[in-house]
Amino acid sequence: MWKGINTALLGRHGYNRQIGLRKASRARLFKEYKEVQREKVADPDIQLTCDDNNIFKWTALIKGPSETPFEGGVFQLAFAVPEQYPLQPPQVRFLTKIFHPNVHFKTGEICLDILKNAWSPAWTLQSVCRAIIALMAHPEPDSPLNCDSGNLLRSGDIRGYQSMARMYTRLAAMPKKG
Amino acid sequence: MEDFLSDDDYYDSGRDSLDGLENEDSGPQWVPSKGPTCKVITKESLLAAQREDLRRVMELLSLREHHARTLLIHHRWDVEKLFAVLVEKGKACLFKEAGVSIVEHRDLDAPPPPTVMCDICIEDVPSGETTKMECGHCFCNSCWTEHFIVKINDGQSKRIKCMAHKCNAICDESVVRNLVSKTNPDLAEKFDRFLLESYIEDNKRVKWCPSTPHCGNAIRIEDDQFCEVECSCGSQFCFSCSSEAHSPCSCLMWELWVKKCRDESETVNWITVHTKSCPKCHKPVEKNGGCNLVSCICGQAFCWLCGGATGRDHTWSSIAGHSCGRYKADREKKAERAKRDLYRYMHYHNRYKAHTDSFKLESKLKGTIQEKVSILEEKESKLRDFSWVNNGLNRLFRSRRVLSYSYPFAFYMFGDELFKDEMTNEEREIKQNLFEDQQQQLEANVEKLSKFLEAPFNQYDVDKVMETRMQVINLSGITDTLCQKMYECIENDLLGPLQLGIHNIAPYRSKGIERASELSVCWGDKVNNSGKPLPPHCGSTADPLLMLGGTTESDQPSGSGSSDETGYAPRKRAKTNVPGGGRFDLNLPADVVDRN
Repeated sequence: MWKGINTALLGRHGYNRQIGLRKASRARLFKEYKEVQREKVADPDIQLTCDDNNIFKWTALIKGPSETPFEGGVFQLAFAVPEQYPLQPPQVRFLTKIFHPNVHFKTGEICLDILKNAWSPAWTLQSVCRAIIALMAHPEPDSPLNCDSGNLLRSGDIRGYQSMARMYTRLAAMPKKG
Repeated sequence: MEDFLSDDDYYDSGRDSLDGLENEDSGPQWVPSKGPTCKVITKESLLAAQREDLRRVMELLSLREHHARTLLIHHRWDVEKLFAVLVEKGKACLFKEAGVSIVEHRDLDAPPPPTVMCDICIEDVPSGETTKMECGHCFCNSCWTEHFIVKINDGQSKRIKCMAHKCNAICDESVVRNLVSKTNPDLAEKFDRFLLESYIEDNKRVKWCPSTPHCGNAIRIEDDQFCEVECSCGSQFCFSCSSEAHSPCSCLMWELWVKKCRDESETVNWITVHTKSCPKCHKPVEKNGGCNLVSCICGQAFCWLCGGATGRDHTWSSIAGHSCGRYKADREKKAERAKRDLYRYMHYHNRYKAHTDSFKLESKLKGTIQEKVSILEEKESKLRDFSWVNNGLNRLFRSRRVLSYSYPFAFYMFGDELFKDEMTNEEREIKQNLFEDQQQQLEANVEKLSKFLEAPFNQYDVDKVMETRMQVINLSGITDTLCQKMYECIENDLLGPLQLGIHNIAPYRSKGIERASELSVCWGDKVNNSGKPLPPHCGSTADPLLMLGGTTESDQPSGSGSSDETGYAPRKRAKTNVPGGGRFDLNLPADVVDRN
């Protein structure tokens, strides 16, 4: 939890603003937390959980959308929420390996406009998850973070892309069959 | 008789400039459409400068000021383009693209609900503590405020969008100002400054003066962006690239030249071609003859061809256990080329440097020549008019600059780097001869002029002084014509026929670099008048902007004083002592100044 801030360093205004911001973002996150509890049944594809000790750290499990190579997989996302949330977007990355043009293959970083310049404070963590699921179903091969994946799609090799993506889904996102 | 004629001639050629000066002089009655002008925009006149564009848009579209500003920022303050979009795509599209939303909210009559749920903090907030933006989205004031603060700190003051998802609307600046100033008055000021400076930052007709330390001014030009201007702080620059005035070089040529001179890239080139670094001590080694087994002074032996370390056993044609050497012929060609390029560069650079150095030396003349003149003035009763001295000197400075910049121009114009495919070798030769003839003539006359001006004419008797005078006046006229011709040749014969139209130069101005005049008093009047058509909401909220407008008015009289001559001749003279050069009063033939 919050450990307090060195008041001498921040000065009066900085202190107030910092606390104000943390308060505002915490309040909002609490609201979202409650909402998530309520909606859990409503959206079976998304399971958002908050870190027990830190409300600024969240993880999500999302189901790969059907009729995509990610179908059947469960992908884990990590959220790092900034203090200025919701005025600034959370940082989200895939913890589960995924073969997708807009996800960095090594770091799991996601290239999605709403997480960058098109962010609006009206988004919530839940809606971000929904946007990411939509991205999985509709990749944008023209702005790739994973060039191999992007090139397959751009060159029209849909089968190649799908089989690679399916293989990684099977390897990384599905429970190992004993 | 001869003297009289040439005198007349000279003044004749100076008449245009005189007219030009009178125009510049008539500050308060100045009509902007009358010929090319450039203006200095100071901190104080910044608002007044924007005001006209804002008013045009406000009047045509019957808009409020902040909407007009949003539109103009979106279209980079290009009123013509904005109107073109209006005609082409219609008002709705124009507004939508720029994020201006003018919607009549019909629910105004209905009593507002006591509390509103803010989608950002997900709290129920009393409706008195919420703000509905023009796009119709309503959030609580504290969320708005934080949003604005984040955006202003991100440097996005000019386009703060509504918080709602996919809402492109730009937030009303008065709301931003109001809410932010409640908690962060400093930041609200910053916001206002960003909005004001957008007129400079986002406007292709306006540029900051590049002086260091920065004088705080910006320059606005009327039409041709290929021009050279002088800010009221005295620094002269090329408007197009913001570096020092460099015509007849094009901006690209000048950029390449500066870079080349800085890196001494030819030397580096030569070193890379002619030397190999020793594999042991890594010093560059030049081969002074002999076979390809080279020994560095550190004792290491290596193969000259591949640079790899070898043993010392060798015959005339091979090194034991080592064989390479397929690209030998290639390398020799490359070495020759590098050498030729280096010599070529050195030739042009030496010339350029020589003239720049002369320019610096001659700038010292400005002080000493005044002494000479005052000595003569005391001595002579017959000869009263010494304006020819200053005329000649100014002409010398002006032509010397042209001459020195003509060398980098020639280097690129007739080299392989830029226009290899644009002309055949024969064409190039013809053009080069044409240009070099002109350059030579100019050079000869400039040197002559310099000689006469440096002569100790204060010790001469009357007849000899008269003769010097005649020569100086003659040579001034000649060099002016030659400069003019050289520019014409460059524009019409050299750069004109090129396929790539990226090389443009500022036109030659006999008077020298155009000095930007301050925004004249009539702007101040406009500021005054504009108080009336301002939308009512600005009454209290737009205070900072209006206040700036106020200072404009009061500062104007002193600001526009620069155009009165008596005031500025001595001011300019004082500047000769400023190190760094380039600040000479080339802008006016001194005859005009001195005759008054």
